[in-house]
Amino acid sequence: MSAMLELVDVYKIYQVGDEEVRALNGVNLRVNEGDFVGIVGPSGSGKSTLMHILGCLDVADFGTYYLDGQPVEHFSANDLATIRNLRIGFVFQSFNLIGRMTIEENVELPLLYRRVKPAMRRALVDEALHQVGLYNRRKHTPSSVSGGQQQRAAIARAIVTNPSLILGDEPTGNLDSKTSAEIMEVFETLSSQGKTVVLITHDTQVASRARRIVHIMDGTVSEESIR
Amino acid sequence: MILQSLKMAGKSIRANKPRALLTMLGIIIGVMSLVVLVSLVNGATSSVTNQIASMGNDMLTVSVSDDKGKPLKLSDLEQIAALESVTLAAPTTTASATAKQGADSYSVSVTGTTNAYFHIMKSELAKGRFLLDADQENNSRVVVLSYETADRIFGRSDVVGQTLKMDGVRYLIIGVLVEDTSLMSSFSQTYAVYVPYSVVERMSSGSGAGGMMQGGGSGSSSGISSFYAMASESSTIARAQIELTVEMLARFGNDEDAFSIRNQSSLSETLSSVTDTFALLLGGIAAISLVVGGIGIMNIMLVSVTERTREIGIRKAIGARKASITLQFLIEALVICLIGCFIGIVASGLVLMAVNLASGTSSYTFSGEILLIAVAFSTFIGIVFGLYPANKAARMRPIDALRYE
Repeated sequence: MSAMLELVDVYKIYQVGDEEVRALNGVNLRVNEGDFVGIVGPSGSGKSTLMHILGCLDVADFGTYYLDGQPVEHFSANDLATIRNLRIGFVFQSFNLIGRMTIEENVELPLLYRRVKPAMRRALVDEALHQVGLYNRRKHTPSSVSGGQQQRAAIARAIVTNPSLILGDEPTGNLDSKTSAEIMEVFETLSSQGKTVVLITHDTQVASRARRIVHIMDGTVSEESIR
Repeated sequence: MILQSLKMAGKSIRANKPRALLTMLGIIIGVMSLVVLVSLVNGATSSVTNQIASMGNDMLTVSVSDDKGKPLKLSDLEQIAALESVTLAAPTTTASATAKQGADSYSVSVTGTTNAYFHIMKSELAKGRFLLDADQENNSRVVVLSYETADRIFGRSDVVGQTLKMDGVRYLIIGVLVEDTSLMSSFSQTYAVYVPYSVVERMSSGSGAGGMMQGGGSGSSSGISSFYAMASESSTIARAQIELTVEMLARFGNDEDAFSIRNQSSLSETLSSVTDTFALLLGGIAAISLVVGGIGIMNIMLVSVTERTREIGIRKAIGARKASITLQFLIEALVICLIGCFIGIVASGLVLMAVNLASGTSSYTFSGEILLIAVAFSTFIGIVFGLYPANKAARMRPIDALRYE
């Protein structure tokens, strides 16, 4: 199976005052196409930094990150924006929907940046909303629906562009256990449809839903377990 | 993308209406001052230039400052009028006199001239007749009043056949000119009356009865110090000016400084250069207020960028390129400017309508040109003052923006 993403000896070092903090300290990680990976680690373990690098929101100080076989280190900010738009779908802990816009408009946004024609946009948005069971709420603004529904909207926004990688950063962190379970079911469904899903979480319960679990501690991937 | 940015701008402006309106206020006031002030100057200018144009551009004004001991006489003017390119020449001399009607007295401006003046000025009569050659020859004490003079002194225009007492001498009113509806006349409080040139000449030389008129002509010899000439139909004003210059040079021993000849277009040019400067000055002041409005827009856009840092992070995370973010905020600044500009133009229209109503004229309208300038300037302001905040937003790193609380 080909590697969807691969980190080779990746370092990310922050300078905090006089102290050097190695958020990522030589991480090696390979995620294959169609994998459902849970990256688990406590607060401060470097999992958010890892998420930023995997999501092309930030670049490594040392080492190489291959996405679909391409190293992304030397890409410009605009190139990285294009990669994020074309290949990555984000689901954040705090949903990160734009409050002024309706759910439908939020889901449509990545397609606008991709310059998809209006009729096509509408069809793709409707399809994504149906997939997460939010079509009837499409005209609502984020603040007028529940947290679970907001996260469903965020997932719809992540999958509307049909990305090769779906990245979740504590996607159930702001949800109650029942809603968390529902959201995890959505991720499982996406995985069963062949999507590559990487979830970053501190919650081992959540990570246990993944097919493969990667532990991160002190900036190093320490252990892998496969279900 | 632009259409989408426009929609987003509309949404973000609607989301905070009072703030957007306050921001626009600077642009609204700037556009209003630009459009209203320039339109007022233009209105006044066109009214004056129309008045000059109504006199025709076939008129030359000749002033004699030094007659070299050879004063111009009426008979000399006949010679000038006989020039090939000149058809008429009319002497003018002005004096002021006190007119009495009942217990009231009025200061009137007396112009001594001939029948040719009536034709050169393209005047029209409401009643009676203008001065005739016979009036000159007989030194007739006759007077033609402007409509306004008749109206103000007698309260009506139908006064032909009555007499007007000026400086103690009675003059028979033989005609009244038509009403002057131009803008300038509404500001003017001059009581204009016209009498035969010979009458004023005799008065100012002290030989006439009464002889109390003051001022007049050069005030020295009895020569004609200024006259109007009209170019013949077959000739151009330039040709008439040349021929007249040659004639006057011959008369005054080739001394160019002894006289001056001006045509209407040079008068218009002088006037328009003065009013253009005035319009530029006022426009400049208005432009400064627009710039101040622009600074207000930059201020608010910077606040808006900071407030929406997280939104910018989200947009970047899902694939917005720098240009998309720049465009979004630039268009927002531009939309605020252009809405302000539109409101300013509508308000200017209302102000000008009010001015027209108050002054009873319809001279004050805004030209397409000034509207274009207002829109272009507002666009310029929007771009210049929107660019910095938009760039600030576009340069943000996605992870920093996403972390912003």
